[in-house]
Amino acid sequence: MDDLDVSLTRGTLDLLLLKALSWGPRHGYAVVDWIEQATGAALIVGEGTLYPALHRLERHGLVEADWGLSENNRHAKYYHLSAAGHRRLQGGTTSWHQFVESAGRALRATSPEPA
Amino acid sequence: MSGEGPRRVFRLEVGAKGVERDVDAEIEFHLAMRTRKLIANGMSPDQARQQALRRFGDLPKVRDQCLTIDQGRERAMKHADRFTNLRLDIGYAVRTLWQRRGFTTVLLLILALGIGANTATFTVIDALLLRTLPVPHSEELVSIGDPSRTGAVSEGTPGGDIASFPVYADVRDQNHVLSGVYASGRTGRLDAIIDRASSGGSAGDEPEHPRGRLVSGNFFAVLEVPAYLGRTFAADEDKVPGGDPVVVISHDYWQRRFGGERSAIGRSISLAGSPFTIVGITPPGFSGDIVGQATEVWIPLMMQPVIMPHRPWLTDRATSWLLLMGRLTPGKALAEARAALTTIIRRSLIDNASQTDPTGGERALRNRPVQVEPGAKGFSYYRRSYAQGLLTLMAAVALVLLVACGNVANLMLARAAARAREISVRMALGAGRLRLLQQLLTESVLIALGGGALGLLVAYWGSSALLRIASGGSRPIPLDVHLDGRILAFTAGLSLVTAVLFGLVPALLATRVDLATALRAQGRGVAGATSRPGRLGLGKMLVVAQVALSLLLLVGTGMLVRSTQRLEQADVGVARDQLLVASVDAERSGYAGLRLAALMRDLTERVRNVPGVASVSLSENGLFSGTESGTTIQVEGFTARTEADSVVAYDDVGPDYFHAVGAHLLRGRDFEARDNESGPKVAVLNETMARFFFPKGNPVGHHVSADSSTFEIVGVVADIQEHSVREEPVRRIYFPAVQLKQIPGGFKLEIRTTSDPARLSAPVRRALAAADPTLAILSVDPLSDLIRDSISQDRLVAQVVTFFGTLALVLAAVGLYGVMAYATVRNTSEFGLRMALGAEPGDVAFLVLKEALLLTAGGVLLGTPIALVVTRMLRSQLFGIGTLDLPSIGIAIVVLATSAAIAGYLPARRASRVAPLDALRAD
Repeated sequence: MDDLDVSLTRGTLDLLLLKALSWGPRHGYAVVDWIEQATGAALIVGEGTLYPALHRLERHGLVEADWGLSENNRHAKYYHLSAAGHRRLQGGTTSWHQFVESAGRALRATSPEPA
Repeated sequence: MSGEGPRRVFRLEVGAKGVERDVDAEIEFHLAMRTRKLIANGMSPDQARQQALRRFGDLPKVRDQCLTIDQGRERAMKHADRFTNLRLDIGYAVRTLWQRRGFTTVLLLILALGIGANTATFTVIDALLLRTLPVPHSEELVSIGDPSRTGAVSEGTPGGDIASFPVYADVRDQNHVLSGVYASGRTGRLDAIIDRASSGGSAGDEPEHPRGRLVSGNFFAVLEVPAYLGRTFAADEDKVPGGDPVVVISHDYWQRRFGGERSAIGRSISLAGSPFTIVGITPPGFSGDIVGQATEVWIPLMMQPVIMPHRPWLTDRATSWLLLMGRLTPGKALAEARAALTTIIRRSLIDNASQTDPTGGERALRNRPVQVEPGAKGFSYYRRSYAQGLLTLMAAVALVLLVACGNVANLMLARAAARAREISVRMALGAGRLRLLQQLLTESVLIALGGGALGLLVAYWGSSALLRIASGGSRPIPLDVHLDGRILAFTAGLSLVTAVLFGLVPALLATRVDLATALRAQGRGVAGATSRPGRLGLGKMLVVAQVALSLLLLVGTGMLVRSTQRLEQADVGVARDQLLVASVDAERSGYAGLRLAALMRDLTERVRNVPGVASVSLSENGLFSGTESGTTIQVEGFTARTEADSVVAYDDVGPDYFHAVGAHLLRGRDFEARDNESGPKVAVLNETMARFFFPKGNPVGHHVSADSSTFEIVGVVADIQEHSVREEPVRRIYFPAVQLKQIPGGFKLEIRTTSDPARLSAPVRRALAAADPTLAILSVDPLSDLIRDSISQDRLVAQVVTFFGTLALVLAAVGLYGVMAYATVRNTSEFGLRMALGAEPGDVAFLVLKEALLLTAGGVLLGTPIALVVTRMLRSQLFGIGTLDLPSIGIAIVVLATSAAIAGYLPARRASRVAPLDALRAD
């Protein structure tokens, strides 16, 4: 977990949040829940830390929010991706994969000389 | 949160409280959901809540972070919103205005006229009264002398209002308060000939008359004005009389006369028959130190004897003709400079007082004290004489703008009424009142700015037109009236004030909609307005105010026009419509003494033989010439109590003078041919002088001493208005010109004609030239023209105010028409009902007409007392009528009532033609 913390940069978290919203509007709890499920609960230090990140995305116009009724009839703040958010998710995912691949290649190296 | 329904968080601002509430609600929702899930997994509620909080982590820190982010977003949104709103409002306003192009055009035209008139007047006021000379640090300049005496020459005992050359030399050499001081004086009419070769063949030998100015060599150095091309006067120039025949010309003159050719530098130009070399050109925009009379040619002061031969103005202490301007030495205050300069000038005048009149210097200084004032605005002859008239005009155009605002406000009201439903719908949908106000005012501001922009065009044309009329049509007063930042700022400011004036109240009323009533009134846009003193009531109040303002303007117009008529028809004591006045300068051609006396007789004789001439005489100052002479006399048997008692005005005239000009001799006789150089010295007094010195007795036969001679009084003549229709008669004495020690070299011939004097102008000119072709004939004008010129400013103000008065009247009538027409349309059903119930068309028409006249009467009742008070300010400009001028008030009321009747008649006629059935069906 400590090792993973290192790579869990703000950018990665943002990307995960955008991914969580890529299937449609969700409230914050659902977003947190999805990330816990999808990452096998491995990433979450405290569920609360996700909220400032969500608000920051909203501030930057990547997600938008509406108040709506939840499945159990409570008022909840629903987030959904803005057009900019969609674009960021696509671009970010590609870069992430490129990063992981090159980082992985580097980590798998067996000799100090480049292959 | 509950019960509010879905709310779009991202668009609407929620406020600081809302931000906190939303964050708390979101966190609480998360905790509740987690707790519920844990309970479902089998935990007890308490445990579940504990666990949820633990899993959430550092709650206060998360809450804080969220709040900070959201507040930032809130602020950004607020700014963006304001900007977006403004953009939306402008877009919306442009669309609405464009949709109603006709309406918008009318508004724009009214405002363009109103604002344009104000800008035009302000432009002239700014150029003449407010603007400073375009020189560096103009605030350091100090003017010495009476700044309005730009073209003056004063012969005789010098005072402090204008300086002789020796006085200038004393000031220049003795003062320690000015870092430099220059002198500037008149050239008189300059005869300039630019020879064919140097002007590219366009000019002949006919002399032209550029506006020249004799200035000391340091003129440009003191003003810190560099040459645009060539050079200004050098430091070693202007030291020796007649020594440096060089001139500097203005950029404007260079462009006009030399087509902006660089080769103009070094060219020769003949002034008064002597060659001068053009050495430099001043920068564009610089037109000298005389505001309102742009200088075209600057000539070194020392060239005065060349320009004006036979006039020793550089040495004569008795000829005062210079205005001085200096730059304060750094650190010196104006008060200090004033004290020092006054002392120097006093000493210079008193130490050099003439031996025959040793106390004259003191006396002249008392009557005409030294004037040391800030010089930043330059000298100006027109400034003082036009200030009052311009301020009257400014008041008139401000009134016109107010009336125009009334009209626009009324139109906006009608518009707002028609839009009441739109507005109530928007308010019902949750638009705030402030928001709607902002939107309506945006529309007003757009219209006003549009009107202002068009107004600038009107002003551009108007200010030059104003100057053209002001100068009597021939050559406009050369004022620089270009549009600059100040004018733009004035117009923009005025437009905004105008927008608030005509836009605010209609907008306030429009947004004070009773929602329920307005919405209920299906399709009838004006619903809810009739029952209370709202819209239409205000519309009528506006009309009343417009009528009142127009009345004020019309009364003022009437008074000015009537006063001008009185001025034009006033008795000036001579046969004003039968006189031709020819002005000659014999001194220039070298005449003096006996030759001069012979020339006078010769000219008189030649003119007398011109067919159509009834009689001829001559005089030094003449009538309405602007020149005047004064002297001190002793009257036999009269003891002067004060020095002022023995000061009189005088003129020296030819034989038959009073008969020729058509004056009324009260006692004794006219001058005759026998009153010549060898005859006994005689004089004639005017009535005022006779009454002052001989309150009871007959002055004829008594003696007066003047000019170190004794004259016998041979006649008394009724007072003549010699220089202005308005002047109070002064004590005046007339001498035969040829009996004075120094016969005047410049004089006027007064020619009484049997028919229209203007037609004899050319024959008289020919007759004069026949006597001596070199003789300078300065002018030949009918006296009636000279008199008209002397009151040209009164005529101008009256004409322009009449124009604006008419404009205000038309605007007010249009306003009245608009309100009545609108009311008629709205009351169509009422009229229809009345007619269905048996009313005659005439009755209905009368109803409408009555209302129009009632509104007018209201305006008259309101306006009359205001007019009575306000027109008192015109007092100083009136002639021959009192400040309570009943005819003017009467005329104004009749004109207004007539206009109101016409404005009311059209809607009345329409009302009377309502078909009852149509009207009822239309409801």
